[in-house]
Amino acid sequence: MSTAAATWRSSTASLRRVPDWAWAVFFVALAILYPYILDQLMTAPDDLLDASIQTLGYIIMALGLNIVVGFAGLLDLGYVAFYAIGAFVIGWLGSQQFPNVNGGKGIHILTPVESAFGRAFPGIHINYFIVIFIAAIFTAFWGAILGAPTLRLRGDYLAIVTLAFGEIVPRVFENATSGIFGIGSTDFSNGRQGITPIDKINFPWTDKAFNYPLELKPVYYVGLGMVLFVIFFNRRLRDSRLGRAWIAVREDEVAAAAMGVNLVRTKLWAYAIGAALGGFSGVFLATYNNTVNVDQFEFGFSVFILAMVIIGGMGNIWGVILGAIALSIFNRYGLKQLNGVPDTVGLDFDVTSINFGIFGFFLLAMMVLRPEGFLPSSRRRLELHEVEFDESPDHLGTETGDAQLYEVRHE
Amino acid sequence: MEAASIPETPSGARQPSRSPLTVVSDNILWILLAVALVVYFVQDPKQTLDDVKTGLSNGTIWALIALGYTLVYGIIELINFAHGEVFMIGSFVAVSLWQSLGVTADNAIVGIVLAILLALVASMLASGVLNVMIERVAYKPLRNAPKLAPLITAIGMSFILQNVGLLWRPTPDSSPDLIGSQKDYFTVFGVAIEHSDVFAFVVTVPLLIALVWFVGQTRYGKAMRATAQDPDAARLMGINVDRTISLTFLLGGLLAGAAGVIYALYNGTIQFNQGFTAGLIAFTAAVMGGIGNLKGAVVGGLIIGVIQSISDTHFGQVWTPAVVFAILILIMVFKPQGLFGEETREG
Amino acid sequence: MSEQPPPAAVPEAEQPHRADGTGVLDARGVSKVFGGLVAVSDVDFIVPEKGIVSLIGPNGAGKTTFFNCLTGLYKPTTGRVMFLGSDLTGKRPDIITTAGIARTFQNIKLFRTMTAIENVQVGMHSRLRSRVTGMLLRTPFNRREEKESYRRAREQLDFVGLRRHGELAMNLPYGDQRRLEIARALASEPKLLLLDEPTAGMNAQESEELRRLMERLRTERGMSVLLIEHDMKVVMNVSDHITVLDHGEKIAEGSPKEVRENPRVVEAYLGSQA
Repeated sequence: MSTAAATWRSSTASLRRVPDWAWAVFFVALAILYPYILDQLMTAPDDLLDASIQTLGYIIMALGLNIVVGFAGLLDLGYVAFYAIGAFVIGWLGSQQFPNVNGGKGIHILTPVESAFGRAFPGIHINYFIVIFIAAIFTAFWGAILGAPTLRLRGDYLAIVTLAFGEIVPRVFENATSGIFGIGSTDFSNGRQGITPIDKINFPWTDKAFNYPLELKPVYYVGLGMVLFVIFFNRRLRDSRLGRAWIAVREDEVAAAAMGVNLVRTKLWAYAIGAALGGFSGVFLATYNNTVNVDQFEFGFSVFILAMVIIGGMGNIWGVILGAIALSIFNRYGLKQLNGVPDTVGLDFDVTSINFGIFGFFLLAMMVLRPEGFLPSSRRRLELHEVEFDESPDHLGTETGDAQLYEVRHE
Repeated sequence: MEAASIPETPSGARQPSRSPLTVVSDNILWILLAVALVVYFVQDPKQTLDDVKTGLSNGTIWALIALGYTLVYGIIELINFAHGEVFMIGSFVAVSLWQSLGVTADNAIVGIVLAILLALVASMLASGVLNVMIERVAYKPLRNAPKLAPLITAIGMSFILQNVGLLWRPTPDSSPDLIGSQKDYFTVFGVAIEHSDVFAFVVTVPLLIALVWFVGQTRYGKAMRATAQDPDAARLMGINVDRTISLTFLLGGLLAGAAGVIYALYNGTIQFNQGFTAGLIAFTAAVMGGIGNLKGAVVGGLIIGVIQSISDTHFGQVWTPAVVFAILILIMVFKPQGLFGEETREG
Repeated sequence: MSEQPPPAAVPEAEQPHRADGTGVLDARGVSKVFGGLVAVSDVDFIVPEKGIVSLIGPNGAGKTTFFNCLTGLYKPTTGRVMFLGSDLTGKRPDIITTAGIARTFQNIKLFRTMTAIENVQVGMHSRLRSRVTGMLLRTPFNRREEKESYRRAREQLDFVGLRRHGELAMNLPYGDQRRLEIARALASEPKLLLLDEPTAGMNAQESEELRRLMERLRTERGMSVLLIEHDMKVVMNVSDHITVLDHGEKIAEGSPKEVRENPRVVEAYLGSQA
């Protein structure tokens, strides 16, 4: 046992005696009070609150990708496709994108039928809280469809195919300005301009819509509510028959099948639920950003979310949340801090334009130095018994040597 | 060099009897593509021939880049995600060289030829060395890690290099039209063969010949093939596996650099993210030909080029990337061994 | 697809051993060909109810390949595998496990980052009935089933003598890992348990414990056991019936005494460690 591990364990021993639920209550309380804490600490809290709201959206996505990559071990480089699908769902169901519906009067479900000035809203307008679930189901369906062809593929092949899907989906949206694949003539995406504005959120029992970006707190709480909702169900899945099946599949597909796990169904569930969370959050982010535009859906985003899952330690729910927060904040603010550095070094370029280069360097460094993440999922094992803290990267989904010998059947 | 699928056993050969029906269903992809080509040809011979010509010329670029992917995958079973950026740097080096030398289309022929040769050498060297460095920094430390790790470092490298490109040229830049790329040399079957087409082949063919000779006839080439088949056995035979791997990356980089030069003159414009799409397209070509198979990479590159120009004409340029990616998915799902790879799955 | 020859008509009197009715497992004419290599050639095999039978042979004889054909990891090239009256030939591994055949692996294939209990719970996967909605909503059925699965997992671990229930599988000592493999296989409540070299790396005492465990499986749980084994002491002591493979073919079968004295068997093993 290394001395570093021993010191770490002894110094956190008292912390670990605090029961899990106490920590949960503490952090949830913190999250609830957060906007008010910001008000106290800062004169202009809105910028940080805005970043925090975006972060809430990313947390949900990271948790979704965590199911696919972290639990089930399916290397997905195309997660942005599900963000896009979710975003376009609200683009269709919560905007004026389809003005000719219902003879120009539009469809309104639990949303204001007229504007404050008494003008009618054409287009489809379904209440936000309904759309998030419609989007989740719709995206889950696509998750299964896009996942199905990939089931037999190995690591790097799987990555490339998912990447390809991640490229195709936004392009299909982009070009679906008059019908889709030449069928029909509806404009589904408004091309490169995107769909904007998106309806503001309103609670189903009132017509009064939220007022962001002026008032951020209500949106923050909607986002927080969605995050807590997702965490709640995520934990249930993890500690369930399906969750165990996912980890078994990640560890050793052959053994999992021999134990009675239906590989196809298990993997499809991972894709479906993972995708559903992407769509769920996609609606939130699209609504908050008030626009759905194909430029938002690039490969870099898939990598961004994947990095959150990795640095959080694949499979570890809390680690992934921390990873999402860390990367999101760093993405927003960290580079501005670095802007001070070049002057002292004698360089004269704008650091914000080397955003993804630094991100790339970070990915490189992380994998070379600590591929198992900073909070690997073995953390919760420590609660059960004494264990060596140094983890080999094996649980990132190694194919055991004799997996080569058995055809891993997916039928 | 073996294809990479899950083999049932190390020998992985097929059962003896194959009915005509299985042969057709196995190759349905190629058959459909061929049928489509014939149909288009019948509809409009001249346009189709023109597309084929454009496609083949474009295809040389993809072929050269695809060779880089296939060489690397053959030897260490890893997709060099940053390879597209290596190609992009090649383009950048060439154009920067010409810009700093002040070479334009108006210079004397001798000067132009020299400038092009110089650029070829410079780009190929730059890309080659860059590829070797990428291997040393991003892949070598992770040789025993699960496949996720080097894939992530590769992506990281790709991002870093794209950013380098962005800083180098924040906006797309145009290359001096040194070969008068649009001018016709001659016509064949009513199809105009332009300078750029000839140039593409004039550069590519000698490189391919040199590569085939190198891999087939030299000691180093044999070392590469041995290492690709069985690194442990190769090591036991006294082959320096590390150096052989570096050599493979060097070769891949050299070819990508040459592709970069061709691209700069053929396309006229270069930009920092040309490597991302080019990389995916070339990777599709490599997979189509059978990953690990050199001949396949070249054939795949040419085929993809033709598919692209046909798609440009008949579906529109906006849909072509989606078409190529869809083909990539179809191949990887239904026929991962491609055209010339080994058949490794039980029928 | 595999060709299906008609089942060989073996008269009752010529059955090499006396079965209680038909066997739980009845494999006929099973072959497995990989390209040019014939790994298993036309093997007939019966496992009687509550029987403990062994499959032995020198290294490379095709024993594990045969196992894999029985458990769905490989599709047999020819032949038929009947289990409790159902045709399981070439079915997927998880279907075969659900039907009641469980197995362990020669190279331990535990789920390393899961605890012993969780490993066994995965083994129960085919017996648990919770649906995804039930899991998400923690319905009473789901909660009951989870508690029950936890309790039964502990039972299985106790049965095989593994005490560190909450330990990560990768941190268990070798002997415990072997026990865990068995407990995990038992979790699916199989009628037939296939053990692939279960005593590899065990000392004499541990082998004896395993032998007694197999007897208990037979008597307490009414299971049949099919064993691939190299340890001849265990094989001779525990088996009702032994089948010998060499180069993919069955070269002998019979009671332990008969097999021990069979000259072909001795010859096959000459030069290889028994």
